[in-house]
Amino acid sequence: MDPILTFVVILIGFYGLSTSTNIIKSVFCVTIIESGVILLFLNLGNLDGGTIPIVGEGVTMIADPLPQALMITTIVIGSTVTALALMLCIKVFHHYGTVEWAEILRREEGK
Amino acid sequence: MTKHFIIIILLGVLLAVFTVAMQDIEVLYNTALKSYLIEGVIPRGFVETGSRNLVTAILLDYRLFDSLFEAGILLIAVSGIIWISKHDIEEKNAQFMYDKYKTPDLFVTFSRLVYPLMLTFGFYVIVNGHLSPGGGFQGGAIVASAILILYYIDHDKETNIGLIVTVEKFLYIAILLFASLSIFTRGTYFTNVFPPTASPDVQAIYLVILNIMIGFKVALGLWAIFTAFLKEGR
Repeated sequence: MDPILTFVVILIGFYGLSTSTNIIKSVFCVTIIESGVILLFLNLGNLDGGTIPIVGEGVTMIADPLPQALMITTIVIGSTVTALALMLCIKVFHHYGTVEWAEILRREEGK
Repeated sequence: MTKHFIIIILLGVLLAVFTVAMQDIEVLYNTALKSYLIEGVIPRGFVETGSRNLVTAILLDYRLFDSLFEAGILLIAVSGIIWISKHDIEEKNAQFMYDKYKTPDLFVTFSRLVYPLMLTFGFYVIVNGHLSPGGGFQGGAIVASAILILYYIDHDKETNIGLIVTVEKFLYIAILLFASLSIFTRGTYFTNVFPPTASPDVQAIYLVILNIMIGFKVALGLWAIFTAFLKEGR
């Protein structure tokens, strides 16, 4: 049941991405999709009776460390890509004076 | 309005497909992976890499190639942000947009209290990355947040953003060279410098050094991103 709930988070991000009219909201929807993917992977790596993946005396069962290592990559890259997209948003706002998709498209076609 | 309904129906179809695909995944995962973890991963991970934290073992030993290029992507993104935010007028320093009369004194005072604690905690997470949860990437993010608080304490603080990125680039080259040193001792690139017969305590030296280098590289990269945004907001 839990992986399905994380997939619902991803679908919420898809819905927002396809209906939002604001560029900054679109960027946030991409981060929502990313959070859903992170939750999905961490959910799959969590085995029954598993603890944190740090081995020592008395540790018999751990969570799968591979999805956690992959998700560090996702978090770092996701944060930098979000920062890059927001910086582009600032530049778009300085150039057009608005961050609405429809307004920018209308101005580009009117040229 | 019909557009929204069509989108919702399409997403529902996706959810149904996913539900069918995920039906047996937990059972499969629990049966197949459990024996693999008990027999293969738990006894061998610490002996082979010297890291009690198996996530760090994967990041800095088994899959170091991936982690290096992850750090490279961070560097490329930072360079892109700096390049996009470049102005026609050459601005050497970035100053924090700080309104002395609107920010509460309580906030500034508590920033002063919290700043050394955050910095110490960040260094702890970086250095202890092979024993406790954490590592270079996470600790670097904590150190960068501490540096961001520094802007509140000292509002005349000036940062040379070009210097930060230059230091980060040289640090990245140093990380690549340090990770390639294993060609001399083990015969392969991008793994532990010390030979496989060394004890886990000796192998941990390599993990600590690499964690510190990656931690400082990530901290510098995130600091550069913060500074670029603050400069843009002025």
